[in-house]
Amino acid sequence: MNLTTKFTLWYFGIMLVVLLIGGAIVYYEIQWKLNEVEVARHRRLNDLIAQQIEQGGDYTGHPTRKRATVTVIPADSMPAGGRSYYTRGFAWNPEFQTDEYKLVVTSFYTIGEQHYRISTYSFIPSFFQMLPSVVNSFKWILLVLLILVIISGGLISKYILAPFKRTMRVIGAFDLKQKDALRLPGTQTSEFRELNQFLLKMTDKAREDYQSLKEFTENASHELQTPTAIIRGKLDLLMESDIRDEQAVLIAEMQNALERLSRIHSSLTLLTRLENQEYQAGEPVCISHLLREALQAFGELIELKSLVLEAHIENGVYVPLHASLSDLLLTNLISNAIRHNVPPVGGEWLAGGGAGPIGGEGKGFIGVQLTKEGLVIVNTGIEPRVPTQELFERFKKGNSGSDSIGIGLAIVRQICDLSHFDIVYQYSNGLHQLALAFRPNVPASKLLQNLALALQVS
Amino acid sequence: MKVLIVEDNQELARNIRDFLGREGYICESSETVEQAREKLGLFQYDCILLDIGLPDGNGIGLLNQIRCEHKDSNVLIISARNAVDDKIVGLEKGADDYITKPFHLAELHARIRAVYRRKNLGGANIVEFNEISLNTDTFEARVVDVLLDTTPKEFDLLLYFIVNKNRVLSRQAIAAHLWGDYTDNLANFDFVYQHVKNLRRKISAAGGMDYISTVYGLGYKFNSHKQG
Repeated sequence: MNLTTKFTLWYFGIMLVVLLIGGAIVYYEIQWKLNEVEVARHRRLNDLIAQQIEQGGDYTGHPTRKRATVTVIPADSMPAGGRSYYTRGFAWNPEFQTDEYKLVVTSFYTIGEQHYRISTYSFIPSFFQMLPSVVNSFKWILLVLLILVIISGGLISKYILAPFKRTMRVIGAFDLKQKDALRLPGTQTSEFRELNQFLLKMTDKAREDYQSLKEFTENASHELQTPTAIIRGKLDLLMESDIRDEQAVLIAEMQNALERLSRIHSSLTLLTRLENQEYQAGEPVCISHLLREALQAFGELIELKSLVLEAHIENGVYVPLHASLSDLLLTNLISNAIRHNVPPVGGEWLAGGGAGPIGGEGKGFIGVQLTKEGLVIVNTGIEPRVPTQELFERFKKGNSGSDSIGIGLAIVRQICDLSHFDIVYQYSNGLHQLALAFRPNVPASKLLQNLALALQVS
Repeated sequence: MKVLIVEDNQELARNIRDFLGREGYICESSETVEQAREKLGLFQYDCILLDIGLPDGNGIGLLNQIRCEHKDSNVLIISARNAVDDKIVGLEKGADDYITKPFHLAELHARIRAVYRRKNLGGANIVEFNEISLNTDTFEARVVDVLLDTTPKEFDLLLYFIVNKNRVLSRQAIAAHLWGDYTDNLANFDFVYQHVKNLRRKISAAGGMDYISTVYGLGYKFNSHKQG
């Protein structure tokens, strides 16, 4: 429900209450006034009749006596206080032959030695006769008000909320990476001005923080890479000098440590950049093409390790992903599948996994399946020591003895998170199974199930 | 070959100078954009190694000037910022290649040669060493006239060896050259060993000299002085 509708409904509710109270007030006010006027008229008439009696003469048949009753009463019947009172209620109206509301005003006079009670009456419209017309008129008022509120609500809110909507549009298009400050439209409304100022402050701060974080990453990258490059160069030069064997071993160990340092550093920098969302997806990339290229690039490694590769790649699978990231993703996944590939011992996997035509005895196996729904990569390997989902964390390794630094999967997961891909890693039947779902409606675990079924059937 | 090294870090510049000097290259270095401008105004260089982050400016700006005044020079960008954006901007502005720190000097040398070949030899991209010849266009390797059945990686490796002949190439440098960064792969050394082994076998089988030798603990070396 939008703001205008809410306001309109509230106004309508308030209007209803006000009109109900107002209706009651108007109703009783009219009733009271009518009564008062009528009573005043009758008192005047009673006074007139009293004057006529005082003057003497025969007034029987005079119009004043038409609805009057003049009675001589004994002195002790005279009321002590007020000289007049009135009563009202339903009574038979012979003129109209119906029960009507009758007002009787009775006044007491003392003229000469005599005491008179003079009563006059008339039929007036009753409360109940007036009620429908009051209700009716308020119904029309309500209707007119409602229409006016709806129309004016729409128009006025459009006018008043225009700056707010403009601000929303600007904020919607805001990008942390943009260089210029937020440009918000000016407004006369103080609340919106406040909001704009607040937003401006907030986005400026966010941009500054982002910028300084980015600068820090870049500086760290730059400042650390340069000394590393120097050391590496010196070692390269040192290698060529006349050195003894034991010195060569020392240099080689330094080279190794340096390699590790440099890779950890560049991977961490990359992760930070990914977290900062610096790689926005542009045009969708053809993952089928990239996957074939990657497999080809790793073809020699696969051959060197005598792995059996089975790839089912659907053509024309496009995924919204930054081109370099897709490359990184595939490279990491495939190189993992190759590196951690350990052939099953004595065909154990074949026995445990049911029917499996893939992978001859004693040979490692890599299975790659790409469909429009996602990518599944399976490979033979030893059981990881930690739960598979934890392998996505940084520096977690399934096998602490291995030479990797354990950051490849963290990068993979970061890329997946960034692109809203679902990713699952399982180990069963001697197979590492990694599934990556491109579409939110198909979870990655489903892809693994499909694969398991396919393996069973074939 | 005349090389200008535009790099604010003196140690790094000296590494490059030392390494390339042994190849017989004439190297000059400048630490700032200003110095580089002066040198470029006075001399011609075959190759310019350009660091992006310099104390008095951005190397990309210098690149524009080089492209206007020194059309024939090769430009190789050296940067610690491995951001993809930098790479793209650099290559769009007319740099010939891009290398990120920390690099192996042998890799830098290989890149310089590759860029030089592409530009200066007018299409005849043949790299020859004694009886071995490599065609970098068709990826064909021959020993005398016998075509070697090399895989792309083996071809790449042989070219790397020949360009960096008589130098000790560490396994790390070879792995980085063949598979690039980002693979989180330190166990590639087995593969380096396999590739080298296969390559040597293939050259020997074709009747070529086995120039490649193992350097204890460190890696391999393509020995041009080796006599049968």
